[in-house]
Amino acid sequence: MANLKDIQRQIKSVTSTQKTTRAMKLVSTAKLRRAEELAKRSRLYAEKMNQVIAEIAGRIKCNKVGGIDNRCFSTIENPKMVDIIFVTADKGLCGGFNIQTIKAVNKLIASYKEQDVKVRLRGVGKKGIEYFKYNEIELFDEVTNLSSKPDKVRSDEFIKASLEDYKNGKIDAVHVVYNGYKNMITQELHVNKVLPVDTEQFECKDVQSSVIEVEAQDEEHMLDSLVNKYVEYNMYYSLIDSVAAEHSARMQAMDAATNNAKDMVKSLNVKFNKARQAAITTELIEIISGVESMK
Amino acid sequence: MDKLKLEILTPNGQIFNGEAISVTLPGEEGEFGVLANHASLSTLLEAGVIDIEKEDKSVESILINWGVVNVDEEKVIVLVEGAVAIRGESESAISKALEDAQELLNSIADSNPAIASVSAKIESAAKKLI
Repeated sequence: MANLKDIQRQIKSVTSTQKTTRAMKLVSTAKLRRAEELAKRSRLYAEKMNQVIAEIAGRIKCNKVGGIDNRCFSTIENPKMVDIIFVTADKGLCGGFNIQTIKAVNKLIASYKEQDVKVRLRGVGKKGIEYFKYNEIELFDEVTNLSSKPDKVRSDEFIKASLEDYKNGKIDAVHVVYNGYKNMITQELHVNKVLPVDTEQFECKDVQSSVIEVEAQDEEHMLDSLVNKYVEYNMYYSLIDSVAAEHSARMQAMDAATNNAKDMVKSLNVKFNKARQAAITTELIEIISGVESMK
Repeated sequence: MDKLKLEILTPNGQIFNGEAISVTLPGEEGEFGVLANHASLSTLLEAGVIDIEKEDKSVESILINWGVVNVDEEKVIVLVEGAVAIRGESESAISKALEDAQELLNSIADSNPAIASVSAKIESAAKKLI
């Protein structure tokens, strides 16, 4: 039979764990609110940005305006090397949040390996980096403390390397994998192909009515800076979205942990009471049998 | 008179969404105005001031540092990176907006030679409000 003191100690420890997890949940809830607000405000911009890019890309594809030959918009056959950028959290204790992203990255790597394409892995966030290091998968580049505190300047710097390499022809595609925010209780995994800009989703018939009014020379310059901003913003948005998702995942995980702790305390209490009663009964029997023997 | 639908978006949210009579934009090749039913056009914007003539003929000025505009027959979408709307209920709110605008201007001062004219413009816009 379990010792009464042991059970008491266990109850104490579980209760204090519960306190911690509850506090963490509250912290995440507060942080989530801020992150969510930011993500919501940025989402509109990101959507419009994608829309504008898609429209321009569609025009290029459908009308072949001015013979524009921009690498960012053309589909590249037989890619040799691709960049995969993943965004994970710097901290754990958020359920399957990080592992989901990692799994998606692994899948992507495997599918590229099948096609004999070299993959350059660029990581944001401690957890993902640790995982790939532990599994001895080489990382080309790594950044920490960025995914927990998205910063436009640092994110621009980070993505710039991929952008330049893409433009110079060193790499043939750029993917961004991250776990994004959907609502308070769900996260959504995103595997975005940032470069080349995906033109397939755009239908030609939509644009035939409108004519583009910019000169070709201008257009190239414009496309160039537009693509830069598009890629930069996409990266930044991934970070913002990922933070919001991280907090929502942590909130959930901590909520579940608090509930589990509560259940555990409950069952421990039952166990404790049983043990206590058993102890009392034994004591009583001892006394009674002592008295009996004295008669 | 026809009105055009105008949307101005920044990474931090929407700063204008509504109807306007005309809008003047600081294009890379020079300033240009857009009225309703303008032919479609996409171009870059440089640091400058967007003037929106609203339905009640009042003019609202918004300072931007970089942007891209997409005009089509139905509406005008302006995506900007940083923007400060020069508006406010009271004098203090306006001067606060002016300060913000000046700060945004300073942050892009090195890259743009035409800063002086822009800064004069926002000041005159603010004066009109007061």
